[in-house]
Amino acid sequence: MTPKRETTREVAQTLACVLARELRDGEIVAFGLHAELMLAAALLAQRLHAPNLVIRHGLRIERGAEIGPPAWTDRRDSRAHETVEYWEAHDAILDVANPRSPQRFCDVFLIGGLQIDREGSTNLIGIRGVDGRMKVRGPGSIGTTSIGTLARHVVLFSSDHTPRRFVETVDYVSVPGWRRRAAAGLPGGPALCLTPLAVLDFQDGAMRLRSVHAHTTADAVRRRTGFPLGAGDAPVTPAPTPAERRALEIVDPFDRLSGLDLRWEEGDA
Amino acid sequence: MSGAGTARAERLVSLPEAAARVRDGMVVGLSGFSYQNPPMALVREIIRRGVKDLTIVSGPTSGLETDLLVGAGCARMVVTAGVAFERVAAIAPAFRRAAERGEVRVWECDECIWHLALKAAAWGMPWVLWRGGVATSIPELNPDIVEIEEAGMRYLRIPPIAPDIVLLHAAEADAYGNVRLPRQAYLGRSFAERALALACRGEVIVSVERLVPNDEVVETPERTLLRGALVAEVPWGSHPGGTNGRSLPDLPHYAEYVEAGEARRRGDPVGYQRYLERTVFGAEHHDDYVRTVGLERLERLRLTEAP
Repeated sequence: MTPKRETTREVAQTLACVLARELRDGEIVAFGLHAELMLAAALLAQRLHAPNLVIRHGLRIERGAEIGPPAWTDRRDSRAHETVEYWEAHDAILDVANPRSPQRFCDVFLIGGLQIDREGSTNLIGIRGVDGRMKVRGPGSIGTTSIGTLARHVVLFSSDHTPRRFVETVDYVSVPGWRRRAAAGLPGGPALCLTPLAVLDFQDGAMRLRSVHAHTTADAVRRRTGFPLGAGDAPVTPAPTPAERRALEIVDPFDRLSGLDLRWEEGDA
Repeated sequence: MSGAGTARAERLVSLPEAAARVRDGMVVGLSGFSYQNPPMALVREIIRRGVKDLTIVSGPTSGLETDLLVGAGCARMVVTAGVAFERVAAIAPAFRRAAERGEVRVWECDECIWHLALKAAAWGMPWVLWRGGVATSIPELNPDIVEIEEAGMRYLRIPPIAPDIVLLHAAEADAYGNVRLPRQAYLGRSFAERALALACRGEVIVSVERLVPNDEVVETPERTLLRGALVAEVPWGSHPGGTNGRSLPDLPHYAEYVEAGEARRRGDPVGYQRYLERTVFGAEHHDDYVRTVGLERLERLRLTEAP
């Protein structure tokens, strides 16, 4: 195994465990089709402390045992991921968007962005040029805006950590962060932000450093974040415990986490 | 015995007849969720006909059906929550290029707001209110979405969007326009087919992998997703996309397309032009396209049906 793959696996496994520890029994966790990291975290939590966690994976509610091959491919070396209990038509998302309903879409939702800012707003719409007009067209807000606005706990994720991604203020808002939510009368805000360098959380509506992964330093994280994260050292992100490592072997038997596209090196873009 | 005048009318059309119903300036709804069920044979036929100024309502998260129409210069506006090829391209190249050059307008939305605009049309409402999307850039970017306050809460006021015509691709249908879900769906029960069809003020046209007898339909009516469509039998009509329950997407084809699209975005249009020549203009009929791609390659994408 290459050193790059080794580090990817260590970072991905660590992030999956960080996230798994946040998930509570009986909650509903939702994510898009390709979020292996979130699926790993949810399956770990189900196995270790949250047997009644509900996994909403795309349009399906599933009780998988392990991370399956990516959707869209003909990989059929495992079918354990296809333990689907319930699925729905796409427009049913409208009927489950009320966060107070027992049938609500989710409690915890994972989202990313072209840009993520200090208050946790995300942007998938585009990036402005110096003239103020849209210079880079993004893919669009996909499913993030409404669910990200209405979910109780939003977890932010980025596969890299650069000053271009982590900006003081996003150019366009797909999902509002703490200050914008408060101004619109929406409670709460994103809870956590996971990157290949660090775990960040929020205090008084602003992102701060919670822990730094073993392969890097707090100074490097600060240098590669486009807004101040506060002074001082940060603890090392706790590695998976022996029990978590054993569960990871069951949840990810084909070592798919080591193949995630995580970019942590300086100059990675 | 029924006489000739009382026979039930079939609702079959050919692919060229179907595409001929799409005219300049129409609002066209297109099925397709990421890589699944895009009506690609219909899209290629529309491009061959040189249709212009379409407003495309696709998705809610769309893929090549949108990108190819934009790339071929057939669209002036796109109503979608996103255009991307998951794991192949984070942003679809022709969409990105045209939007950045101001050649296509984007009605900015997310998947819920996209559905709501269609629901408003289906329900005959002047607008619907929605809580998701307040405090975002969506009302700022769309003049027809207004953020309002009602009983101390803020909402977005979403206008109706009614397609003039809707084009779908599905696993099967009968000759009377009953569109059928496959026995084994993939990723979800269905995507946006119903939302588009129920909002449409004109014809709903579906290309299907296979025509099935009406007897089969009445045996399992729970699998009928829509009724009253015009039906064209077009095997491999979603390629390079997949068809739920029938075939997988051709990801190497997407990678090739993205490479050509990205080169064009950076100023070299040759590869993209060649792609259009090979897959659209060089293939007079869908059969030519199937031959160009090769049946052997297509057969490798076929899914075996669940027992």
